[in-house]
Amino acid sequence: MGSEGAHVRGAQRGSASDLEALFRLHWPRAYRAAFLVVHDAAAAEDIAQEAFLAAIRNLDRFDRRRPFGPWLHRIVVNRAIDWTRARQLRAESELVDAPAPEAERLDGTVLAALAALPPDHRAVIVLRHLLEYTPGEIAELLGLPRGTVNSRLRRGLDSLRETV
Amino acid sequence: MRHELEQIEVPGEHEARERSWTIVRAAYAEREPSERRRSWKPIVVLAGVAVVAAGLLSPPGRAVLDEIREVVGVERSQPALFSLPAPGRLLVTADSGTWVVEQDGSKRLLGPYREASWSPFGRFVVAARANELVALTPDGTVRWSLARPDVRLPRWGGTRTDTRIAYFSGGQLRVVGGDGEGDRVLDEDAAARAPAWQQESGHRLAYAARDGSVRVVDVDTGDVVDRDAAVSLLEPQAAIVSPDRRWTVVGWADADQLVFTRLGRPRRVHAVSNVSAQFRSRSFPTIEGWCCAP
Repeated sequence: MGSEGAHVRGAQRGSASDLEALFRLHWPRAYRAAFLVVHDAAAAEDIAQEAFLAAIRNLDRFDRRRPFGPWLHRIVVNRAIDWTRARQLRAESELVDAPAPEAERLDGTVLAALAALPPDHRAVIVLRHLLEYTPGEIAELLGLPRGTVNSRLRRGLDSLRETV
Repeated sequence: MRHELEQIEVPGEHEARERSWTIVRAAYAEREPSERRRSWKPIVVLAGVAVVAAGLLSPPGRAVLDEIREVVGVERSQPALFSLPAPGRLLVTADSGTWVVEQDGSKRLLGPYREASWSPFGRFVVAARANELVALTPDGTVRWSLARPDVRLPRWGGTRTDTRIAYFSGGQLRVVGGDGEGDRVLDEDAAARAPAWQQESGHRLAYAARDGSVRVVDVDTGDVVDRDAAVSLLEPQAAIVSPDRRWTVVGWADADQLVFTRLGRPRRVHAVSNVSAQFRSRSFPTIEGWCCAP
Protein backbone atom coordinates (compact mmCIF):
# COMPACT_ATOMS: atom_id res chain seq x y z
CA MET A 1 0.00 0.00 0.00
CA GLY A 2 2.84 2.37 0.88
CA SER A 3 4.49 1.77 -2.46
CA GLU A 4 1.15 1.99 -4.26
CA GLY A 5 0.41 5.27 -2.50
CA ALA A 6 3.76 6.61 -3.66
CA HIS A 7 2.95 5.61 -7.23
CA VAL A 8 -0.45 7.34 -7.01
CA ARG A 9 1.22 10.50 -5.69
CA GLY A 10 3.82 10.33 -8.43
CA ALA A 11 1.21 9.83 -11.12
CA GLN A 12 -0.79 12.76 -9.77
CA ARG A 13 2.34 14.91 -10.12
CA GLY A 14 2.93 13.87 -13.70
CA SER A 15 5.29 10.91 -13.41
CA ALA A 16 4.70 8.52 -16.32
CA SER A 17 6.91 5.88 -14.70
CA ASP A 18 4.69 5.87 -11.59
CA LEU A 19 1.62 5.57 -13.78
CA GLU A 20 3.23 2.64 -15.59
CA ALA A 21 4.00 0.98 -12.27
CA LEU A 22 0.34 1.29 -11.27
CA PHE A 23 -0.75 -0.01 -14.66
CA ARG A 24 1.59 -3.04 -14.58
CA LEU A 25 0.54 -3.79 -11.01
CA HIS A 26 -3.19 -3.70 -11.57
CA TRP A 27 -3.79 -4.50 -15.23
CA PRO A 28 -3.48 -8.32 -15.05
CA ARG A 29 -6.13 -8.75 -12.38
CA ALA A 30 -8.40 -6.08 -13.82
CA TYR A 31 -8.30 -7.76 -17.22
CA ARG A 32 -8.71 -11.26 -15.79
CA ALA A 33 -11.61 -10.17 -13.59
CA ALA A 34 -13.34 -8.55 -16.56
CA PHE A 35 -12.78 -11.62 -18.72
CA LEU A 36 -14.16 -13.99 -16.10
CA VAL A 37 -17.35 -11.94 -15.96
CA VAL A 38 -17.85 -11.17 -19.66
CA HIS A 39 -16.08 -14.21 -21.25
CA ASP A 40 -15.06 -12.09 -24.21
CA ALA A 41 -11.40 -11.09 -24.51
CA ALA A 42 -12.04 -8.00 -26.66
CA ALA A 43 -14.71 -6.71 -24.30
CA ALA A 44 -12.50 -7.45 -21.29
CA GLU A 45 -9.71 -5.44 -22.90
CA ASP A 46 -12.08 -2.52 -23.52
CA ILE A 47 -13.45 -2.68 -19.99
CA ALA A 48 -10.06 -2.80 -18.28
CA GLN A 49 -8.74 -0.08 -20.57
CA GLU A 50 -11.72 2.18 -19.96
CA ALA A 51 -11.31 1.67 -16.23
CA PHE A 52 -7.73 2.90 -16.42
CA LEU A 53 -8.75 5.84 -18.61
CA ALA A 54 -11.41 6.72 -16.03
CA ALA A 55 -8.72 6.48 -13.38
CA ILE A 56 -6.56 8.97 -15.29
CA ARG A 57 -9.48 11.36 -15.76
CA ASN A 58 -10.14 11.32 -12.03
CA LEU A 59 -6.56 11.08 -10.85
CA ASP A 60 -6.46 14.57 -9.39
CA ARG A 61 -9.52 13.89 -7.28
CA PHE A 62 -8.37 10.50 -6.05
CA ASP A 63 -7.85 10.28 -2.29
CA ARG A 64 -4.31 8.91 -2.08
CA ARG A 65 -4.91 7.59 1.44
CA ARG A 66 -7.26 4.98 -0.02
CA PRO A 67 -6.11 1.87 -1.91
CA PHE A 68 -6.20 2.14 -5.68
CA GLY A 69 -7.17 -1.47 -6.38
CA PRO A 70 -10.71 -1.55 -4.96
CA TRP A 71 -11.55 1.68 -6.71
CA LEU A 72 -10.38 0.28 -10.03
CA HIS A 73 -12.04 -3.09 -9.44
CA ARG A 74 -15.37 -1.43 -8.71
CA ILE A 75 -15.30 0.22 -12.13
CA VAL A 76 -14.18 -2.96 -13.87
CA VAL A 77 -16.72 -5.27 -12.31
CA ASN A 78 -19.67 -2.93 -12.63
CA ARG A 79 -18.88 -2.30 -16.29
CA ALA A 80 -18.44 -6.00 -16.89
CA ILE A 81 -21.85 -6.73 -15.38
CA ASP A 82 -23.46 -4.02 -17.51
CA TRP A 83 -21.76 -5.32 -20.64
CA THR A 84 -22.84 -8.90 -20.02
CA ARG A 85 -26.44 -7.90 -19.42
CA ALA A 86 -26.61 -5.89 -22.60
CA ARG A 87 -24.34 -7.89 -24.90
CA GLN A 88 -26.98 -8.89 -27.37
CA LEU A 89 -28.63 -5.52 -27.58
CA ARG A 90 -27.94 -2.00 -28.57
CA ALA A 91 -24.22 -2.24 -29.11
CA GLU A 92 -22.65 0.54 -31.07
CA SER A 93 -20.02 -1.98 -32.14
CA GLU A 94 -22.76 -4.25 -33.49
CA LEU A 95 -23.59 -1.74 -36.15
CA VAL A 96 -20.46 -3.14 -37.78
CA ASP A 97 -19.38 -6.76 -37.95
CA ALA A 98 -18.49 -8.09 -34.52
CA PRO A 99 -16.63 -11.33 -33.76
CA ALA A 100 -18.36 -14.09 -31.81
CA PRO A 101 -17.52 -13.97 -28.12
CA GLU A 102 -15.21 -16.59 -26.63
CA ALA A 103 -18.02 -17.76 -24.35
CA GLU A 104 -19.54 -19.63 -27.27
CA ARG A 105 -16.43 -21.73 -27.57
CA LEU A 106 -16.04 -22.76 -23.94
CA ASP A 107 -15.50 -26.35 -22.88
CA GLY A 108 -16.63 -27.97 -19.64
CA THR A 109 -14.22 -26.24 -17.29
CA VAL A 110 -14.54 -23.74 -14.51
CA LEU A 111 -14.85 -21.05 -17.15
CA ALA A 112 -17.82 -22.80 -18.73
CA ALA A 113 -19.37 -23.29 -15.31
CA LEU A 114 -18.92 -19.60 -14.59
CA ALA A 115 -20.54 -18.76 -17.90
CA ALA A 116 -23.68 -20.56 -16.79
CA LEU A 117 -24.12 -18.18 -13.85
CA PRO A 118 -25.94 -14.84 -14.05
CA PRO A 119 -23.45 -11.96 -14.51
CA ASP A 120 -23.89 -10.52 -11.03
CA HIS A 121 -23.25 -13.95 -9.49
CA ARG A 122 -20.11 -14.29 -11.62
CA ALA A 123 -18.94 -10.88 -10.43
CA VAL A 124 -19.34 -11.84 -6.78
CA ILE A 125 -17.43 -15.10 -7.31
CA VAL A 126 -14.61 -13.27 -9.11
CA LEU A 127 -14.39 -10.57 -6.46
CA ARG A 128 -14.32 -13.11 -3.65
CA HIS A 129 -12.15 -15.86 -5.07
CA LEU A 130 -9.87 -14.12 -7.59
CA LEU A 131 -9.49 -10.67 -6.06
CA GLU A 132 -9.97 -11.94 -2.49
CA TYR A 133 -12.33 -9.33 -1.16
CA THR A 134 -14.37 -10.15 1.93
CA PRO A 135 -18.16 -10.32 1.57
CA GLY A 136 -18.38 -7.01 3.42
CA GLU A 137 -15.97 -5.37 1.01
CA ILE A 138 -17.85 -6.82 -1.97
CA ALA A 139 -21.10 -5.46 -0.58
CA GLU A 140 -19.52 -2.02 -0.40
CA LEU A 141 -17.93 -2.25 -3.85
CA LEU A 142 -21.14 -3.30 -5.60
CA GLY A 143 -23.56 -1.35 -3.43
CA LEU A 144 -25.37 -4.51 -2.34
CA PRO A 145 -26.64 -5.70 1.05
CA ARG A 146 -24.18 -8.09 2.65
CA GLY A 147 -26.82 -10.80 2.83
CA THR A 148 -27.28 -10.58 -0.94
CA VAL A 149 -23.54 -11.01 -1.45
CA ASN A 150 -23.49 -14.05 0.82
CA SER A 151 -26.45 -15.67 -0.90
CA ARG A 152 -24.99 -15.05 -4.36
CA LEU A 153 -21.69 -16.54 -3.22
CA ARG A 154 -23.45 -19.58 -1.83
CA ARG A 155 -25.64 -20.15 -4.88
CA GLY A 156 -22.75 -19.48 -7.23
CA LEU A 157 -20.46 -21.95 -5.53
CA ASP A 158 -23.23 -24.57 -5.39
CA SER A 159 -23.77 -24.20 -9.14
CA LEU A 160 -20.05 -24.42 -9.84
CA ARG A 161 -19.75 -27.61 -7.77
CA GLU A 162 -22.62 -29.20 -9.68
CA THR A 163 -21.13 -28.31 -13.05
CA VAL A 164 -17.43 -28.96 -12.55
CA MET B 1 -10.94 -21.75 -6.25
CA ARG B 2 -8.50 -18.87 -6.57
CA HIS B 3 -5.89 -21.17 -8.07
CA GLU B 4 -8.38 -22.43 -10.66
CA LEU B 5 -9.47 -18.90 -11.59
CA GLU B 6 -5.85 -17.84 -11.98
CA GLN B 7 -5.06 -20.86 -14.13
CA ILE B 8 -7.73 -20.09 -16.71
CA GLU B 9 -6.02 -19.02 -19.89
CA VAL B 10 -7.14 -15.57 -20.97
CA PRO B 11 -6.62 -15.18 -24.72
CA GLY B 12 -4.21 -12.50 -25.89
CA GLU B 13 -3.46 -11.17 -22.44
CA HIS B 14 0.02 -9.87 -23.24
CA GLU B 15 -1.05 -8.18 -26.48
CA ALA B 16 -4.12 -6.68 -24.81
CA ARG B 17 -1.97 -5.29 -22.00
CA GLU B 18 0.49 -3.64 -24.37
CA ARG B 19 -2.28 -2.21 -26.59
CA SER B 20 -3.99 -0.77 -23.55
CA TRP B 21 -0.77 0.60 -22.11
CA THR B 22 -0.17 2.50 -25.35
CA ILE B 23 -3.62 4.10 -25.10
CA VAL B 24 -3.42 4.76 -21.37
CA ARG B 25 0.04 6.30 -21.72
CA ALA B 26 -1.18 8.56 -24.54
CA ALA B 27 -4.19 9.67 -22.51
CA TYR B 28 -1.92 10.39 -19.56
CA ALA B 29 0.46 12.41 -21.73
CA GLU B 30 -2.45 14.56 -22.91
CA ARG B 31 -3.62 15.15 -19.36
CA GLU B 32 -2.99 18.58 -17.90
CA PRO B 33 -1.45 18.29 -14.42
CA SER B 34 -3.75 19.63 -11.74
CA GLU B 35 -1.54 22.55 -10.74
CA ARG B 36 -1.75 23.97 -14.24
CA ARG B 37 -5.47 23.41 -14.50
CA ARG B 38 -6.01 25.37 -11.31
CA SER B 39 -4.43 28.45 -12.78
CA TRP B 40 -7.10 31.15 -12.70
CA LYS B 41 -6.31 32.64 -16.07
CA PRO B 42 -7.48 29.75 -18.27
CA ILE B 43 -10.59 29.50 -16.14
CA VAL B 44 -11.29 33.17 -16.71
CA VAL B 45 -10.75 32.68 -20.41
CA LEU B 46 -13.02 29.63 -20.55
CA ALA B 47 -15.70 31.31 -18.48
CA GLY B 48 -15.60 34.38 -20.66
CA VAL B 49 -15.75 32.33 -23.80
CA ALA B 50 -18.64 30.35 -22.37
CA VAL B 51 -20.59 33.48 -21.59
CA VAL B 52 -20.23 34.66 -25.15
CA ALA B 53 -21.00 31.31 -26.65
CA ALA B 54 -24.13 30.90 -24.61
CA GLY B 55 -25.63 33.45 -26.90
CA LEU B 56 -25.34 36.29 -24.45
CA LEU B 57 -24.09 38.65 -27.06
CA SER B 58 -25.16 41.64 -25.09
CA PRO B 59 -22.75 44.58 -24.84
CA PRO B 60 -21.25 43.08 -21.65
CA GLY B 61 -20.87 39.76 -23.47
CA ARG B 62 -19.03 41.39 -26.33
CA ALA B 63 -16.88 43.23 -23.82
CA VAL B 64 -15.84 39.89 -22.33
CA LEU B 65 -14.75 38.58 -25.70
CA ASP B 66 -12.98 41.83 -26.50
CA GLU B 67 -11.18 41.53 -23.20
CA ILE B 68 -10.15 37.97 -23.95
CA ARG B 69 -8.82 38.99 -27.31
CA GLU B 70 -7.01 41.94 -25.80
CA VAL B 71 -5.50 39.96 -22.96
CA VAL B 72 -4.56 36.86 -24.89
CA GLY B 73 -3.99 38.37 -28.27
CA VAL B 74 -5.33 37.00 -31.52
CA GLU B 75 -2.29 35.65 -33.28
CA ARG B 76 -3.97 35.27 -36.61
CA SER B 77 -7.38 35.51 -38.16
CA GLN B 78 -7.92 33.16 -41.05
CA PRO B 79 -10.28 33.88 -43.93
CA ALA B 80 -11.34 30.20 -43.96
CA LEU B 81 -11.27 27.14 -41.76
CA PHE B 82 -8.07 25.69 -43.20
CA SER B 83 -7.52 23.27 -40.34
CA LEU B 84 -8.45 22.52 -36.74
CA PRO B 85 -5.83 23.33 -34.10
CA ALA B 86 -6.22 19.93 -32.38
CA PRO B 87 -6.97 16.35 -33.45
CA GLY B 88 -10.57 15.34 -33.94
CA ARG B 89 -13.55 16.28 -36.05
CA LEU B 90 -16.06 19.06 -35.66
CA LEU B 91 -19.76 18.46 -36.13
CA VAL B 92 -21.51 21.58 -37.36
CA THR B 93 -25.13 22.22 -38.26
CA ALA B 94 -26.05 25.03 -40.61
CA ASP B 95 -29.06 25.98 -42.76
CA SER B 96 -27.66 23.65 -45.40
CA GLY B 97 -27.56 20.67 -43.02
CA THR B 98 -25.08 18.89 -40.80
CA TRP B 99 -21.37 18.86 -41.69
CA VAL B 100 -18.32 16.96 -40.47
CA VAL B 101 -15.08 18.97 -40.53
CA GLU B 102 -11.85 16.96 -40.50
CA GLN B 103 -8.68 18.22 -38.85
CA ASP B 104 -7.24 19.12 -42.25
CA GLY B 105 -10.19 21.43 -42.84
CA SER B 106 -12.00 19.24 -45.37
CA LYS B 107 -15.76 19.22 -44.92
CA ARG B 108 -18.48 16.71 -45.74
CA LEU B 109 -22.19 17.49 -45.80
CA LEU B 110 -24.00 14.58 -44.12
CA GLY B 111 -27.47 15.66 -45.11
CA PRO B 112 -30.28 18.11 -44.44
CA TYR B 113 -30.45 17.66 -40.69
CA ARG B 114 -31.30 20.39 -38.19
CA GLU B 115 -29.47 19.05 -35.11
CA ALA B 116 -26.90 16.35 -34.49
CA SER B 117 -24.43 14.93 -31.99
CA TRP B 118 -21.56 12.45 -31.90
CA SER B 119 -21.77 8.93 -30.54
CA PRO B 120 -19.57 8.53 -27.44
CA PHE B 121 -16.50 7.40 -29.39
CA GLY B 122 -17.12 9.34 -32.58
CA ARG B 123 -17.89 6.35 -34.76
CA PHE B 124 -21.40 7.50 -35.52
CA VAL B 125 -23.56 10.58 -35.59
CA VAL B 126 -27.18 10.87 -34.51
CA ALA B 127 -29.09 13.55 -36.36
CA ALA B 128 -32.59 14.98 -36.29
CA ARG B 129 -34.84 16.26 -39.01
CA ALA B 130 -38.42 17.35 -38.60
CA ASN B 131 -39.99 13.92 -38.18
CA GLU B 132 -37.05 11.52 -38.16
CA LEU B 133 -34.19 10.45 -35.91
CA VAL B 134 -31.27 9.14 -37.97
CA ALA B 135 -28.06 7.28 -37.03
CA LEU B 136 -25.31 7.55 -39.61
CA THR B 137 -21.58 7.14 -40.07
CA PRO B 138 -19.37 10.23 -40.43
CA ASP B 139 -19.26 9.62 -44.19
CA GLY B 140 -23.02 10.14 -44.33
CA THR B 141 -24.19 6.53 -44.67
CA VAL B 142 -27.50 6.06 -42.86
CA ARG B 143 -27.44 3.03 -40.52
CA TRP B 144 -31.00 3.29 -39.25
CA SER B 145 -33.77 5.80 -38.82
CA LEU B 146 -36.83 6.18 -36.67
CA ALA B 147 -39.90 8.16 -37.66
CA ARG B 148 -41.06 10.34 -34.76
CA PRO B 149 -42.77 13.74 -34.75
CA ASP B 150 -40.81 16.93 -34.16
CA VAL B 151 -37.46 15.37 -33.22
CA ARG B 152 -35.05 17.60 -31.30
CA LEU B 153 -31.87 17.60 -29.20
CA PRO B 154 -30.57 14.07 -29.78
CA ARG B 155 -27.71 13.07 -27.47
CA TRP B 156 -25.84 9.76 -27.73
CA GLY B 157 -24.24 8.28 -24.60
CA GLY B 158 -22.97 5.07 -23.07
CA THR B 159 -19.92 2.86 -23.26
CA ARG B 160 -18.06 1.53 -26.28
CA THR B 161 -20.23 -1.57 -26.26
CA ASP B 162 -23.62 -0.44 -25.02
CA THR B 163 -25.18 2.87 -25.92
CA ARG B 164 -28.43 4.82 -25.71
CA ILE B 165 -29.75 7.91 -27.45
CA ALA B 166 -31.87 10.46 -25.64
CA TYR B 167 -33.98 12.87 -27.68
CA PHE B 168 -37.14 14.93 -27.60
CA SER B 169 -40.19 14.19 -29.71
CA GLY B 170 -43.51 15.95 -29.43
CA GLY B 171 -42.56 17.39 -26.07
CA GLN B 172 -41.58 14.00 -24.61
CA LEU B 173 -38.07 13.04 -23.56
CA ARG B 174 -37.46 9.61 -25.13
CA VAL B 175 -34.67 7.04 -25.12
CA VAL B 176 -33.72 4.49 -27.78
CA GLY B 177 -30.89 1.97 -28.01
CA GLY B 178 -27.85 2.72 -30.14
CA ASP B 179 -29.11 0.15 -32.65
CA GLY B 180 -32.48 1.90 -32.98
CA GLU B 181 -34.29 -0.69 -30.86
CA GLY B 182 -36.25 -0.26 -27.66
CA ASP B 183 -37.57 3.27 -28.21
CA ARG B 184 -39.63 4.48 -25.25
CA VAL B 185 -40.77 7.55 -23.33
CA LEU B 186 -38.51 8.47 -20.45
CA ASP B 187 -40.32 11.55 -19.15
CA GLU B 188 -43.30 13.55 -20.36
CA ASP B 189 -42.47 16.37 -17.98
CA ALA B 190 -39.00 17.29 -19.22
CA ALA B 191 -38.02 20.79 -20.28
CA ALA B 192 -36.78 21.18 -23.84
CA ARG B 193 -33.13 21.62 -22.94
CA ALA B 194 -30.30 19.37 -24.08
CA PRO B 195 -29.91 16.45 -21.68
CA ALA B 196 -26.48 15.11 -20.68
CA TRP B 197 -25.28 11.55 -20.18
CA GLN B 198 -23.28 10.85 -17.02
CA GLN B 199 -20.11 9.36 -18.48
CA GLU B 200 -18.98 7.44 -15.43
CA SER B 201 -22.33 6.03 -14.42
CA GLY B 202 -23.56 3.64 -17.06
CA HIS B 203 -26.82 4.85 -18.56
CA ARG B 204 -27.69 7.70 -16.29
CA LEU B 205 -29.12 10.80 -17.90
CA ALA B 206 -29.34 14.27 -16.42
CA TYR B 207 -32.10 16.51 -17.73
CA ALA B 208 -34.11 19.55 -16.76
CA ALA B 209 -37.69 19.14 -15.63
CA ARG B 210 -40.36 21.72 -16.34
CA ASP B 211 -40.46 22.70 -12.67
CA GLY B 212 -36.86 23.89 -12.98
CA SER B 213 -35.24 21.00 -11.15
CA VAL B 214 -32.53 18.81 -12.66
CA ARG B 215 -33.14 15.07 -12.49
CA VAL B 216 -30.75 12.17 -12.93
CA VAL B 217 -32.42 8.94 -14.07
CA ASP B 218 -31.12 5.45 -14.79
CA VAL B 219 -32.75 5.02 -18.18
CA ASP B 220 -32.62 1.21 -18.07
CA THR B 221 -34.47 0.83 -14.79
CA GLY B 222 -36.35 4.13 -14.76
CA ASP B 223 -35.05 4.77 -11.24
CA VAL B 224 -34.70 8.43 -10.35
CA VAL B 225 -31.20 8.67 -8.90
CA ASP B 226 -31.43 12.36 -8.02
CA ARG B 227 -34.49 14.65 -8.14
CA ASP B 228 -32.64 17.86 -7.40
CA ALA B 229 -29.23 17.58 -9.01
CA ALA B 230 -26.81 20.37 -9.81
CA VAL B 231 -27.50 22.35 -12.98
CA SER B 232 -23.83 21.91 -13.83
CA LEU B 233 -24.58 18.28 -14.68
CA LEU B 234 -26.44 19.43 -17.77
CA GLU B 235 -24.61 19.83 -21.02
CA PRO B 236 -22.80 23.15 -21.13
CA GLN B 237 -24.45 25.39 -23.66
CA ALA B 238 -21.23 26.97 -24.67
CA ALA B 239 -17.74 25.60 -24.40
CA ILE B 240 -17.03 22.96 -27.02
CA VAL B 241 -13.75 21.38 -25.95
CA SER B 242 -11.34 19.46 -28.17
CA PRO B 243 -10.81 15.72 -27.52
CA ASP B 244 -7.38 16.43 -26.04
CA ARG B 245 -8.98 19.01 -23.71
CA ARG B 246 -6.48 21.66 -24.80
CA TRP B 247 -8.63 23.85 -27.03
CA THR B 248 -12.11 25.20 -26.95
CA VAL B 249 -14.13 26.66 -29.79
CA VAL B 250 -17.07 28.99 -29.72
CA GLY B 251 -19.07 30.68 -32.40
CA TRP B 252 -19.24 34.48 -32.45
CA ALA B 253 -22.31 35.07 -34.56
CA ASP B 254 -22.10 38.86 -34.75
CA ALA B 255 -18.60 38.69 -36.17
CA ASP B 256 -19.36 35.57 -38.25
CA GLN B 257 -16.30 33.99 -36.68
CA LEU B 258 -15.24 30.83 -34.94
CA VAL B 259 -12.87 31.52 -32.07
CA PHE B 260 -10.50 28.73 -31.01
CA THR B 261 -8.84 29.31 -27.64
CA ARG B 262 -5.98 27.24 -26.27
CA LEU B 263 -6.60 26.51 -22.60
CA GLY B 264 -3.04 25.77 -21.49
CA ARG B 265 0.25 27.52 -22.08
CA PRO B 266 1.17 29.16 -24.29
CA ARG B 267 -2.27 30.70 -24.56
CA ARG B 268 -3.47 31.33 -28.08
CA VAL B 269 -6.59 32.50 -29.81
CA HIS B 270 -7.24 31.71 -33.47
CA ALA B 271 -10.16 33.30 -35.20
CA VAL B 272 -11.72 32.07 -38.44
CA SER B 273 -13.82 34.48 -40.47
CA ASN B 274 -16.61 34.08 -43.03
CA VAL B 275 -18.01 31.06 -41.26
CA SER B 276 -21.60 31.14 -42.52
CA ALA B 277 -20.59 31.21 -46.17
CA GLN B 278 -18.23 28.28 -45.70
CA PHE B 279 -21.18 26.18 -44.53
CA ARG B 280 -23.52 27.60 -47.21
CA SER B 281 -25.70 29.08 -44.53
CA ARG B 282 -27.72 32.27 -44.24
CA SER B 283 -27.56 32.16 -40.44
CA PHE B 284 -24.59 31.42 -38.24
CA PRO B 285 -24.02 27.65 -37.83
CA THR B 286 -24.17 25.71 -34.56
CA ILE B 287 -21.11 23.79 -33.42
CA GLU B 288 -22.54 20.49 -32.18
CA GLY B 289 -19.37 18.82 -30.95
CA TRP B 290 -15.68 18.18 -31.38
CA CYS B 291 -15.03 14.53 -31.20
CA CYS B 292 -12.47 11.87 -31.30
CA ALA B 293 -9.76 11.49 -33.88
CA PRO B 294 -10.60 8.69 -36.33
